[in-house]
Amino acid sequence: MQTSATSDERLNKFEPRIEEIFASCSANAPNFGVTREVFGASISNSLVRFLNAPVETPATDDEVIEFLGQLQSDDLFLAIACSNGNERAWWEFDQQHRSYLERVARQLAKTDVDAQEVVDCVYVELYGTRVVDGARLSKFATYSGRGSLRGWLRTVIWHSLVDLHRASHDEVSLDEMTETVGEGAAHATFAVTPHGGEATMVDEIARDRYRRVTIDSLEAAFSSLDEHEKLLLLYYHVEQLKLREIARLVENEASPLRGWFQRKLQSREKNPSGRIHESTVMRWLDKSYSKVLKHFRSELETMHSLSTEEIEICLELATQDLAPSGIFRNLSSAEALDVESGDLGSHVKES
Amino acid sequence: MGNTGLENGENTRIQGILDGYLASRQGLKSSAGETSFHLDEDALSAFAEGNLTQRESLPVLDHLVACKFCRHKTAELLRLDLALAGTFEDAERADTTEPSRISAVLSGLLSKIFGTTDGAVFAHEDKDDPEKTEDTDDKDK
Repeated sequence: MQTSATSDERLNKFEPRIEEIFASCSANAPNFGVTREVFGASISNSLVRFLNAPVETPATDDEVIEFLGQLQSDDLFLAIACSNGNERAWWEFDQQHRSYLERVARQLAKTDVDAQEVVDCVYVELYGTRVVDGARLSKFATYSGRGSLRGWLRTVIWHSLVDLHRASHDEVSLDEMTETVGEGAAHATFAVTPHGGEATMVDEIARDRYRRVTIDSLEAAFSSLDEHEKLLLLYYHVEQLKLREIARLVENEASPLRGWFQRKLQSREKNPSGRIHESTVMRWLDKSYSKVLKHFRSELETMHSLSTEEIEICLELATQDLAPSGIFRNLSSAEALDVESGDLGSHVKES
Repeated sequence: MGNTGLENGENTRIQGILDGYLASRQGLKSSAGETSFHLDEDALSAFAEGNLTQRESLPVLDHLVACKFCRHKTAELLRLDLALAGTFEDAERADTTEPSRISAVLSGLLSKIFGTTDGAVFAHEDKDDPEKTEDTDDKDK
């Protein structure tokens, strides 16, 4: 859908490039029956989203050309043909991707029966059984060609499997969860019960004050990081991703995430275009730890006027309280919103 | 450990603190509907593959930092990707699809989708006649 922010004139400027892409796809799959209009409309939709992305600077023509060049156009062509119900395209799709889908499903599902059921569900969803205004709604219509079709299918399988699981447990689907989940920068406070008899009231008041400023400063330190650094820490510490799994995320040399980290550490990256090793990710993490600690100390010193000794007390308290059995951990678990409800935490079997 | 100027002990300490802090922070309820939408499969898979441009990545990155739900999905996709890596090439080389099996599979599949087994016929031939396709499509609608 085109918005007022993107003029027809701007879109028309790239028509010749879209025409080239269409010609190439048509030559590769002449039997798919995809028209220039339908193909162009799909790309235009993606292009409008790209141009209207909520970033400050408008996209340059070079960026648009780069965007068009990165589209998985043959995959998109196949998806459009399947969405239209073209039989030859469905046959090709089945030939190319069914075994992949089955392997992904088997990797994720607990039993082969579940795996087969989810593959069947996905096929039905891909074809589309719902008709709105006389048009069948195929899941393929939501594929834009930004990533590979296989990557998209993997996500669809994962999504379907979670829905299947939730349905079997009488829980809401992922789509229905949209309004009910979410987390943010919730502020934590300590609610510490004084240790009976062991510490004086004065000590407890002082410790309580240190705890409060410690948490405030930790939040400030984390907030001071760039978004890609925050995400890295969250992947590593919260999602428990392994270094090699994170490295996989930045394997693509064109990955902006990789670019941001490499810009930050340009002087130390001797091989910015090479493979990202686990040690490189560790270095990125290390850099983030360093930034957090520096900001944390600075915050305690300047905002809370603590001395070096007091900062050490805060660090000691944080080390104690944030340990697995610490009071802060206990507090959070009591109030936790368990989004994935139990065994949905991780679907990927260890291989 | 890296070369950041942190002593090993200090580094370990801040790791432990961050580990606890981030874990507990994620467990606390959201104060408002900060994540009133979620990324669709298209955006999630493109991000996990590192295929988004910088312009597209910025809002996705912001969202993933704020939204545990979508971040967890991308983490699962990355785990899956690595778990499957390497196994697929071998498996696909060994995957000799016999025509009789394809026919059987397609027959079942197409009857499920199109409500007829006639569709299996086209499975082994290029479709040369576009009009025939359109006829079939029409019937399906």
